[in-house]
Amino acid sequence: MYLYFLSYKCLNRVWTVLYTEMEAEKLRYLEDKAHELRHLTLDMCIRAKTGHVTSSFSAVEILTALYNGKILRKDPKNPRWEDRDRFILSKGQASPILYTTLTDNGYFPKSWLRTFNTANGHFGVHLQCDVPGVEYTTGSLGHGLGIGNGVALAAKKNSRDYKTFVLLGDAELQEGSCWEAAMLSSTLKLDNLIAIVDRNGYGVLCRTEESAALNPLDKKFAAYGWEPRVINGHSFEEIFKSLEDARTRNKGVPLVVIANTIKGKGLPSWQNVALRHGTAPTNGEVDQIIDELSAGCRYSNGKKCPLYGFDDLDKWKCPRWDCQK
Amino acid sequence: MGLPKMNNNVAMRNIFWDRIYEHARQDKNVMLVCADMGAPALDKFRRDMPDQYINVGIAEHSMVALAAGLTREGKNVYTYAIAPFATSRCHEFIKLNCGLMKLPIKIVGIGPGFGYEDSGPTHHTTEDISIMRPIPNLEIYSPCDSVCATAIADLTYKSGKPAYIRLDRQILPIIYKEGTDFTKGFEELKKSNGGTLIVSTGNMVHVAIEAANKITSEDLSPGIVDIYRIKPLNSEALTDVLFNYNRVITLEEHMLDGGLGSLIAETIMDNDIPVIQRRMGLRDYIYAYGGRKNIQKACGIDVDSVIKVIEQ
Repeated sequence: MYLYFLSYKCLNRVWTVLYTEMEAEKLRYLEDKAHELRHLTLDMCIRAKTGHVTSSFSAVEILTALYNGKILRKDPKNPRWEDRDRFILSKGQASPILYTTLTDNGYFPKSWLRTFNTANGHFGVHLQCDVPGVEYTTGSLGHGLGIGNGVALAAKKNSRDYKTFVLLGDAELQEGSCWEAAMLSSTLKLDNLIAIVDRNGYGVLCRTEESAALNPLDKKFAAYGWEPRVINGHSFEEIFKSLEDARTRNKGVPLVVIANTIKGKGLPSWQNVALRHGTAPTNGEVDQIIDELSAGCRYSNGKKCPLYGFDDLDKWKCPRWDCQK
Repeated sequence: MGLPKMNNNVAMRNIFWDRIYEHARQDKNVMLVCADMGAPALDKFRRDMPDQYINVGIAEHSMVALAAGLTREGKNVYTYAIAPFATSRCHEFIKLNCGLMKLPIKIVGIGPGFGYEDSGPTHHTTEDISIMRPIPNLEIYSPCDSVCATAIADLTYKSGKPAYIRLDRQILPIIYKEGTDFTKGFEELKKSNGGTLIVSTGNMVHVAIEAANKITSEDLSPGIVDIYRIKPLNSEALTDVLFNYNRVITLEEHMLDGGLGSLIAETIMDNDIPVIQRRMGLRDYIYAYGGRKNIQKACGIDVDSVIKVIEQ
């Protein structure tokens, strides 16, 4: 009996160690992937000389967790699969990070990124629904949550179990239409609707609290009948924890995850600089910005991440393995 | 030459919603999303099909956005509000969802023009045609009687295209015979050799008919065209009609900027039609109380004003 207990304890211990190691490996993979996607996004915007870099960078971990962390149920080979989870990027200005995430997940060839904002390109600065994997055209703000209501309601009417995720910008919540939608979500008891607020604290010109104050945001959502959860939006562990019951919630209350983030995260000299909204580094800034991004890579050893080449983009991989040599 | 006028005691919105009710009974995908707006016919809809009826409250942006999500997931959605709130209040939502994403939402606006006569300026809609026309992919319907409204209910139910349907609030006489084909987009209700044609839409078709009936001289008696589908305009067939006249009077309960008169002027210009046009409509927005006819008089678009222009 004692031996049996000992072996059980042993096995349990081994399992815990293995599990912890697996979790750590998964986190490392996601952190590396987040760096890679930042890199790809920055390069794309530098080449195109446009794109909302800072708005994209606050949402990198959120998107990486959803797509690469397998929170979303999806089939990149069949983007219109009926049972896919619906992801609505309501802050359509963050299209660069969604485009790079989608290509990384196999929705369309990486080479499309090189055509960003060009004459024969597949997409431009704001989000377009004709790109594989993109559900709705957005860019004008205040649309996504209301549309999400319709999509989530349709799931209930059609007896489907897909979930509807809407990523909102925090400054977007200054649009009154978001609150029209928010009070309807709870009235319709849409517990299959999950809003994530990229709370980077900034609009175009200044902090949200200096233009039209949003705080206390969690209490506002709670007052509208939502269940709010406040997390660090750059922590994979917190993102996963906040969404772990997303698929099983059934109490008739919509969920909002307020993800505190840093606008321009990963680029220290651009972080939380209001007027960096909607811009890409220009010629004189490129070297410094690439240096700053490279410093965030665990493998760089002080080396600069190279810009990718245009011609072999489909074969491009993050050069971190070279950095390790 | 007089036009037949049949008795009618039902507003076209009730006839229209009755027809949508029949479709919804057969087809669970038909849904109605309204912004706290009722109609007697809708009480029945709400009672018999609560699963297909959503009242979003007084929130038109939310109404269009909800309709967009539902439509994208396969529902056939009609939205419903008083015309100014169904259109200009949430115009950019319609532009994005119907125009850019081509989601086939059917937007029903009740009481365009001075339909809400004594409700005052907030409820008047004298710009809906001009603001809805430039939205890509959006069809615009403007019926003048219940027979036409019923046909438009059928056409939009079957159509995979977004549409704006402007329904008059008041009870209007029946003009069309049951079974009329409404795919043409307009109807020459009355032909004339007198050289003058009145082109109108919605409730103003009735003003045109009343004016024409009061003209006693056979030489002056005008032709009448009812444009019940404003977009896409059947400009080819309309051009053939316009070629038969020397003068066209456009009559609308709407601002002249970008309205029906502008649409006909564009058609005349684009097709090199040798015809003189007189536009009757609102040069500037004014309002009065004391009933719709009184407002029309103040705006110079009443029966007497039309007769004067015909006799000029």
